[in-house]
Amino acid sequence: MEVDRADGRTPNQRRPVVCTRGVLHRAHGSASWAQGDTKVIAAVYGPKAGTKKNENPEKACIEVIWKPKTGQSGKPEREYEMVLKKTLQSICLLNVHPNTTTTIVIQVVNDDGALLPCAINAACSALVDAGIPLKHLAVAICCCMVESGHVILDPSKLEEQNMKAFVYLVFPNSIISVLPDGSKRPGGEAMEHGIITSVTHGVMAVDDYFSCVKLGRAAAAELSDFVRNSLKLKAGNDPSKVG
Amino acid sequence: MEQRLANSLIMTVNEKKFIESALLSDIRVDGRRPFDYRNLTIRFGSEDGSAEVQLGQTQVIGFVTGQLTQPYRDRPNEGSFAIFTEFSPMADPSFEPGRPGETAIELGRIVDRGLRESRAIDTESLCVIAGKLVWSIRIDLHIIDNGGNLVDAANIAALAALSTFRRPECTLGGEDGQELIVHPPDVREPLPLILHHFPVAVTFGFIGKENTVLIDPTHYEEAVMGGSMTATLNTNGDVCAIQKAGGDGVLQTVIMQCLRIASVKAGDITSKIKNAVESYNTQRSLRKIKRHNPDQQGSSDVARHHMERLTVGSDQTGIASQFNEHDKTNKRNSTLKGFSGGPASWDPYSKGVDGDALRTTLASRVIPPLDKQKEESSQVNPETKSSPKSSNTNSFASTHESGLEKKQSKTLKDAVKPKHKRRNKSNAS
Repeated sequence: MEVDRADGRTPNQRRPVVCTRGVLHRAHGSASWAQGDTKVIAAVYGPKAGTKKNENPEKACIEVIWKPKTGQSGKPEREYEMVLKKTLQSICLLNVHPNTTTTIVIQVVNDDGALLPCAINAACSALVDAGIPLKHLAVAICCCMVESGHVILDPSKLEEQNMKAFVYLVFPNSIISVLPDGSKRPGGEAMEHGIITSVTHGVMAVDDYFSCVKLGRAAAAELSDFVRNSLKLKAGNDPSKVG
Repeated sequence: MEQRLANSLIMTVNEKKFIESALLSDIRVDGRRPFDYRNLTIRFGSEDGSAEVQLGQTQVIGFVTGQLTQPYRDRPNEGSFAIFTEFSPMADPSFEPGRPGETAIELGRIVDRGLRESRAIDTESLCVIAGKLVWSIRIDLHIIDNGGNLVDAANIAALAALSTFRRPECTLGGEDGQELIVHPPDVREPLPLILHHFPVAVTFGFIGKENTVLIDPTHYEEAVMGGSMTATLNTNGDVCAIQKAGGDGVLQTVIMQCLRIASVKAGDITSKIKNAVESYNTQRSLRKIKRHNPDQQGSSDVARHHMERLTVGSDQTGIASQFNEHDKTNKRNSTLKGFSGGPASWDPYSKGVDGDALRTTLASRVIPPLDKQKEESSQVNPETKSSPKSSNTNSFASTHESGLEKKQSKTLKDAVKPKHKRRNKSNAS
């Protein structure tokens, strides 16, 4: 049974993505990421000297500041900052610049559903724009469960509020041509099948969660192609970025 | 990487001397003359009351929101407004998160004084029930890029956001006529704010001992200048506010000259804001017309409308280059398309009617949605890895061209020509 979505998308269709790098001039790296009407701007400053008090000085430190659209920063913003920090820590190469701090500032411009995945995607593009060394990219997607048990992709704000449950999933950017054929991690699972981050809201059955993961992984594979192609554009011809 | 490690702008003596000596020949570092403004671009978000202003390299975003609250006791029939300024750490490496510093507070006070004391916003129209319920307007200004002259850019962002803000209409109803009904935007058209005039801030910088004046300083010039003055004026010739907080002493004649120049610049900026707001309002009313079309023509049209929306779905990407101004306007156009939103908003006259696109959308009306998705996916990226489920997710084109205009030409034609005539035309062609 086809689920009727308000804007006419199919259940497996995500909204069109607009990604622009280098939107800010003072920031060392910046990106703006829009999924449909949800828009987020991310800026990266770093590496700067010194780490925060309780951080390990033998590694680089990642600091995330989340600025909401209106109002004061409260507990939800702290949670987003924590999730983003842990996600980005797992994709950055922390040993290249020890005893430094890289600051990522997220500004929400408009929230129309799937805000945290949009912010994660924007932060990754901004890190690439700043030239921070990364192991691989992260691609984030949101799946949610309708009352009738169907899974739909990339909900808007209205859909998110009416859902039984939804989950934000972050997958590593799939490696196509780097690994030779047949090389897999011990355990037989290719690396791009791992989950970096998963945040759920609401109650869902275990089987439903796995079907969300399956759908999310397929969508993330497609989205990661787009990200890789977009980052290849005009890479490395901007001398103003140095220093 | 050394520049990255520093927290604030390090100006060398050579740079300072260069700026000062270039000004003696009336030349500025970016090629402007002393009384030229940088390029001003005003864009609006998809929601009412959000504006993004770019003045050269400075970028400010303004959001206006409204809430029903109790009025102040000494003004029972007036609404209120408040301005919140955020110097985001993304604007400058020296901006710290947390409590606003003195420059942030000064900026907020200048913008507030320009709007409040000159009574630019009509607060009496914000009253709903005298003494009990009034509208309280909140203006949030986010500085996201510090390229100098934040006051002017923030002021323009506040004015642009206030001009496009709409508040829902409230009426008294219920059994006893005392109940307040807030009408949602779909039921009744929300109302704009009443702005009597536009107080525009113009900032001057004073450099060197000879009182060289320049307008709209960049952040390099701000680091070098000895004093600054901000004059807030409107096009009626009123001086709404002047702020000169310390700094070098300036002759009276220089101040008078600055005010005269400021009134000219205020007129320019006001007309730019008004043009941008007008084009936004036209787009907004066009959007409303399109939304009404399917309702009048029945459910089959609704299904067709939904099917057409599936053709919308191209991902776009772009790099905003830093140096070349011309490049920047091109990239800004591509981001402009992105900023103006997804399926629900577009300018139907921006690209005209594309004959091929029209034929495709008409042909696709006959094909069921699943096949159309597969057809689109086969055009683009044949080497994409596809698991069984992802064939459905490939229904959007991940090329770098925009397919946004395919849809709206069809919808407009609905309003103009009957369906059967159009179908004959496409069969004949």
